[in-house]
Amino acid sequence: MKLKGKFVAFVVLLLLLLLAACSSETASNDDSEENGTEEPSNDGKDADPFGAYEEAITISIGQEVDPTDTSLTDGDTPLDNKYTRHVKEMLNIDVEHAFTASPSNYDQKVSLAIASNDIPDAMVVGPIELRQMVEADQLADLTGVFENYASPAIKEIIESTGGVALDSVTFDGKIMAIPNAQASADGVHNLWIRKDWLDKLGLEPPKTVEELQEVARAFVEEDPDGNGEDDTIGIAGPDASNKLYANFLESSNNLYGFDGIFSALHSYPGYWLEDDGEPVYGSILPETKEALGTLRDMYAEGLIDREMGVREDSAESVISGKTGIFSGPFWMPYGPITDAIRQNPDANWQSYAAPLDANGDYTPHLMTPTNSYVVVRKGYEHPEAAMKILNNLVAHESEHDAMEGGGGPGYYPIRLVYAPADEMEVTTVALREVLDGTKQPEDFYDMPSYKLIHTDVDTIFDAKLEPYDNMNIEYWNIDSNHFTRAYSALVGTAPLVDSEIKGVKSLIYYQTDTMESRWVNLKKLEDETFLKIITGAAPLDTFDQFVEDWKQQGGDQITEEVAESVN
Amino acid sequence: MKFKGFAKHYYLMMAPGLVWLFIFSIIPMFGIIIAFQDFNPGRGVFGSEFIGLDTFRYMFQLNDTPIIFFNTIFIAVMKIVGNLIVPLVFALMLNEIRYVRFKRSIQTIVYLPHFLSWVILGGVLLDIFAYQGPINGLLGIFGIEPILFFGKAELFPYLVVGSDIWKEFGFNTIIYLAALTGVNPALYEASGIDGASRMRMLWHVTLPGIRTTAVLLAVLGLGNVLNAGFDQIFNLYNPLVYSTGDIIDTWVYRTGLLNLQYELATAVGLLKSVAGFMLISLSYYLAYKLTDYRIF
Amino acid sequence: MIKSKSLSSRIFDIIIIVVLCAVAFTCILPLWYTLAVSFSSKSAAAAGIISLWPVDFNLTSYQQLLSDTQFFKSFWISIQRVVLGAGLNFIVVPLMAYPLSKSVKDFRGRNVIMWTVIFTMLFNGGLIPLYLTVQQLNLMNSVWALVLVGGAQTIVFNIILTINFFRNLPKSLEEAALVDGAGPWYILFKLYIPLSIPVLATVSLFSIVYHWNEFLYGLIFMTREEFYPLQTYIQQLVVSVDPSVMTEDQYKRLSEMSNKTLDAAKIFIAMIPVLVVYPFLQRYFIHGITLGSVKE
Repeated sequence: MKLKGKFVAFVVLLLLLLLAACSSETASNDDSEENGTEEPSNDGKDADPFGAYEEAITISIGQEVDPTDTSLTDGDTPLDNKYTRHVKEMLNIDVEHAFTASPSNYDQKVSLAIASNDIPDAMVVGPIELRQMVEADQLADLTGVFENYASPAIKEIIESTGGVALDSVTFDGKIMAIPNAQASADGVHNLWIRKDWLDKLGLEPPKTVEELQEVARAFVEEDPDGNGEDDTIGIAGPDASNKLYANFLESSNNLYGFDGIFSALHSYPGYWLEDDGEPVYGSILPETKEALGTLRDMYAEGLIDREMGVREDSAESVISGKTGIFSGPFWMPYGPITDAIRQNPDANWQSYAAPLDANGDYTPHLMTPTNSYVVVRKGYEHPEAAMKILNNLVAHESEHDAMEGGGGPGYYPIRLVYAPADEMEVTTVALREVLDGTKQPEDFYDMPSYKLIHTDVDTIFDAKLEPYDNMNIEYWNIDSNHFTRAYSALVGTAPLVDSEIKGVKSLIYYQTDTMESRWVNLKKLEDETFLKIITGAAPLDTFDQFVEDWKQQGGDQITEEVAESVN
Repeated sequence: MKFKGFAKHYYLMMAPGLVWLFIFSIIPMFGIIIAFQDFNPGRGVFGSEFIGLDTFRYMFQLNDTPIIFFNTIFIAVMKIVGNLIVPLVFALMLNEIRYVRFKRSIQTIVYLPHFLSWVILGGVLLDIFAYQGPINGLLGIFGIEPILFFGKAELFPYLVVGSDIWKEFGFNTIIYLAALTGVNPALYEASGIDGASRMRMLWHVTLPGIRTTAVLLAVLGLGNVLNAGFDQIFNLYNPLVYSTGDIIDTWVYRTGLLNLQYELATAVGLLKSVAGFMLISLSYYLAYKLTDYRIF
Repeated sequence: MIKSKSLSSRIFDIIIIVVLCAVAFTCILPLWYTLAVSFSSKSAAAAGIISLWPVDFNLTSYQQLLSDTQFFKSFWISIQRVVLGAGLNFIVVPLMAYPLSKSVKDFRGRNVIMWTVIFTMLFNGGLIPLYLTVQQLNLMNSVWALVLVGGAQTIVFNIILTINFFRNLPKSLEEAALVDGAGPWYILFKLYIPLSIPVLATVSLFSIVYHWNEFLYGLIFMTREEFYPLQTYIQQLVVSVDPSVMTEDQYKRLSEMSNKTLDAAKIFIAMIPVLVVYPFLQRYFIHGITLGSVKE
């Protein structure tokens, strides 16, 4: 018994020791936070957006690293490559990695960092994480940093969003993160169609949803690839990691979705719309039920890929030449199309502003220009370093390709995408003018915020063959290094330049308070219900139950908050 | 008290293990209080505001909660039953074989999947059952349309259960085979002389001989009713099959770590732990009552 | 046993043999298929036309694999993890199991500690407190995090198994030793452990297999790929990527990947250590499991 008592005492002692260790640790954390509240002076007296530090400083960041990527060469690493060397050389900043993670695990690492209150000096996060971190008081106030250190080019680009970008990072009047801003072309999802199949079957490019169905039917039934087997897919569907449609939180770059079909039926699921001056959520409107019905019929008829939602990667069937139609933004040549064409040089993938609505208008939903943010840890001594790294990025991005060493641009530390809203459209028009000889490449040399246009106009004749006004695949040099970029501009972006876009914006592109705790589950309810309805696993009328559930489980409350936030 | 004075040595022996468990199992349990808080990572577990049972109330409102509990129990119970019966049948069949070398080889082969991880088997199974994979190729020969195995919510639980039984049955036969060797050979000889057929012998001699083992395994299985296999499902599932394939553990992982709903994830995890504890206690009690066997 | 062989009995035998062979075949199928894919050409794998035989036989995947330093780094980390984890398990398990195999009569604190230990197996605060604990102990990115966290969660089961084995050892042995004046350490090390090789081999095998196969903690506690154990490394290659969060240039790089044959080669190599180890330990674990778990 005596010994038992001793043992208990031992355990208690151990417990106390450990608790003491934990609490002293917390205490020291508190200290550093208090120190941190004395923000470094950002009065802007000596603010130089591009100035190098006299003494090298260190910034530890979270970095996404794709494990399958093999583009780094010559012993370069994610930590030591041409981008990090450039940052060191220009700014005298040493980059360290607090963590790296593959694209699918990056969110998990960010989440653990937030939960453990042990965040890197700077990292790239999404809107949900941003809000959580602001609430947890983990972030440095960047108001002064942004005002004094943001380069003119970045300021100009951010202003081109009409205040949307800054609004999304402003909490209680303070700028808590640096927003990105991107070309709006990423948010318009065009239809990509195998024109060689259309030609072979004697069909015209579809304009309406009905015509689209006819074309898909022909693609499925009439053996367009001519191999005598019933193995073609009409319209590709989202793969395991894509969405049925882009939504107000992730409003761009949705591949293989049904965005176009919804929009043509004036249904905007996932978007906040205005109805009689009041905000409503697009997913619960009757138009959406109708659109789901249409998609459900198309799936049942086999016009849509049977394996939608399950494929690891829908790109595979595009590349192997089985798919005839899919939806995606202008840059699809960077996606599956270049590979598809290299596999089969006859695969004449063209892009169309379709389907149109009942009035013959093109009414796609539009994106938010901002979806990712650089945040800086509260208490980090050099918050302006993050801004400088981004300034440096925008100022020198076009030179990076030419620099010694491999590695995709994703290796640039805390990289955000910056582009003027009309970047692609301007590029497309420029290329056309150069091709038809109305302008010379030199005319476009002096456009600094259009970072790639200089290279584009210089190299266009390498990628495009005569006749310059015919975009069919046989008139391209598909082996050119510049093919992918040029094809994205002249074919991918053409629908945006050539058609009048009567786009629909979401009222908000950020989360409200209640969304923080409820949205994920509401979204899940929505995704699962809609997927089941389309694939026929649940009857169409499940939609009505969904609307009920959605409202009851927080949707109504959220709608009120959205109303408050927009008024 | 022949062990008098040994207690201090016993504690000393256990000290390394207890310290280990204390640091890595007991201390992290403080995290359970997150379930009762409005957890604010900036203030930490000790500084966040307590909100009582709000999170639990919200949990019971959610559509997901009954679904994930149902999925978990449905899958786990099927696994438990399958993992009792299939190995038994297999053991009985092996028991009929008298070529020792053949028996050995078969045994060695069927143990194999047990030792492979779900990361690896998940990758391989998804490939084999892919739309254009070899299984659908085989079905195609018989004129069957290809099936989207792992994308069908109505198939997913059965595929999970089937693949788990397939992975584990070989290993699970070990216990039955041992029990079978314990059956008194004299009983077989006696019934052999009586001219009993092999089926009759199976029924009247073999099965009664391993009844206790089977009952015991069934009771022990109870403790696993809420464990449907995180590793397996995590490596096999996709959003299409969440409705039937999402179990407590996978849901907690996604909710807590990917969606930053720490409180909700902790609350659901706690509920599972409590229920699991009751189940283990029940199986401890039943095993003792039914077979006079103490599990631990 | 059975003297006369009737025709029906012979048919019965044949049916059983055929069924057993068929079942055993399905157990080596995934291994075989993976091997076939790893020796095939990239395009054949992408097109999904491989069934049981390599298409366009070549060794490119294995040549590529040789230049993948991360694979071998991860392989080495996994080896370290297994050696440390199984070693620690081997030491701690008998030390815990021996006192706990005593009855309450002989060791008064036994039940309290036993239930505490069981409790640690069932309750946890989720991943976040675990993460905080590991962080406070400065074990992030250390193989010890994997060894200690994973070990603490699997050791309890191994202890239970060993307790049951110890209980089944003849009581007379211990009593005789006690009469001779032997202390607990002597009894454990000179009497119990030498007699318990089957169960210790079994729990070591469980520990080896667990540490080799576990992937999630690598994902949680390692902040960089260079520290990943092998299964974590493979898991992140197999898991799909979410294009919605990506920029066009990231996507471009993604399109250059999708390398099923290389993945298959990695998967196959990752299977090898387990394939090598388990047949040798087979003899032990059959005894270890049966004696440890079931008292007839």
